[in-house]
Amino acid sequence: MTDVVELAVPVRADLLVLARLTAATLASRAEFGIEEIEDLRLVTEELCLSVIGASAGGVVHLRFVRDGHSITVECSLEPEEGAPVAVGEPDELSVRIIEALVDEHGTVLDGARPCAWIRKRGTKVAL
Amino acid sequence: MVEALGTPVTAADAWVEFARTRDPALRDRLVSENIGLARRLAHRFAHRGQPYDDLAQVASIALIKAVDRYDPERNVAFSTFATGTIIGELKRHFRDRGWAVRAPRRIQELYLELGAITESLGHQLGRSPTVPELAEVAGCSEEAILEAMEAGQGYRSASLDAPGAGNLTLGDRLATEDAGTYLVEERSVLEPALAALPERSRRIVKLRFMDGLTQSEIAAEIGISQMHVSRLLAASLAQLREAFRTEE
Repeated sequence: MTDVVELAVPVRADLLVLARLTAATLASRAEFGIEEIEDLRLVTEELCLSVIGASAGGVVHLRFVRDGHSITVECSLEPEEGAPVAVGEPDELSVRIIEALVDEHGTVLDGARPCAWIRKRGTKVAL
Repeated sequence: MVEALGTPVTAADAWVEFARTRDPALRDRLVSENIGLARRLAHRFAHRGQPYDDLAQVASIALIKAVDRYDPERNVAFSTFATGTIIGELKRHFRDRGWAVRAPRRIQELYLELGAITESLGHQLGRSPTVPELAEVAGCSEEAILEAMEAGQGYRSASLDAPGAGNLTLGDRLATEDAGTYLVEERSVLEPALAALPERSRRIVKLRFMDGLTQSEIAAEIGISQMHVSRLLAASLAQLREAFRTEE
């Protein structure tokens, strides 16, 4: 079973909770264990913050895909009108955290915008 | 390659050598070479009422465990393996001790209860319990469990305070935090540089980057506005960065 959820969130620290909660809710539906859900929350936040970088504003676009026991999160930044697309190197520590906690990650181009993504598979549990 | 006297010359050699000999001196060297990673990760979690020094201690112990358990024959870089181990220990520390200062009381209580339930269910099941399993034992909804999890962990963005604080953007605040992480890592240089700051600025930098208080909490403690705290932090960091450049 596949679920797709899309969010568009203004670049504000207090609204990133929406990204974490969406990731956690889908991960729970995918029967992730609580440790895996905590990891996914952390990684989703790191993904958003690394995409935001030093940008002053704009909208973070998030796409969450649950496919069986796997969750994919894609994240890109739509800059404020007139502002250039910020393409910075992600923070080294963010990369380390992402590498340590997910199964796959990468960056693709979403139109003109760079889109960072991660994928995490849950350990299927027999309920 | 290993030199004639037995001193490994590359990081990869050192791990292979340590796996073979378990030499305590080499272990100390590997820990000391990677302590910066532990400190940086501790800083990422240093908010919501958990002092940086406590987190740094938890992260350092986790680093030692990672050094002892790392298998160089597995196709994983040590930094990746250690990051997972250290984050796991930091999460456990938060589960045992830390809760969001601003969360409603019922959420705080549920979060603390969840720590105990997670541990006992985990032992019983031999794996990490799921949200439905936790909800059933705790006698609450799955949504309440997810809400309590959100309140309990020290998320990075939650430490960046309310929107518009000090007229700085989220990007500006992230840059300030990254500068702070660097300062925490280089405490031997930081201490003398801090001494050159005015007393109030010095106190603010310590409260933010060593005690892990948010800007709002510092504002309340010192009795000035959050915007003022934000401005003083930015100015202090600029001055400290200058001191670091001189040192280098």
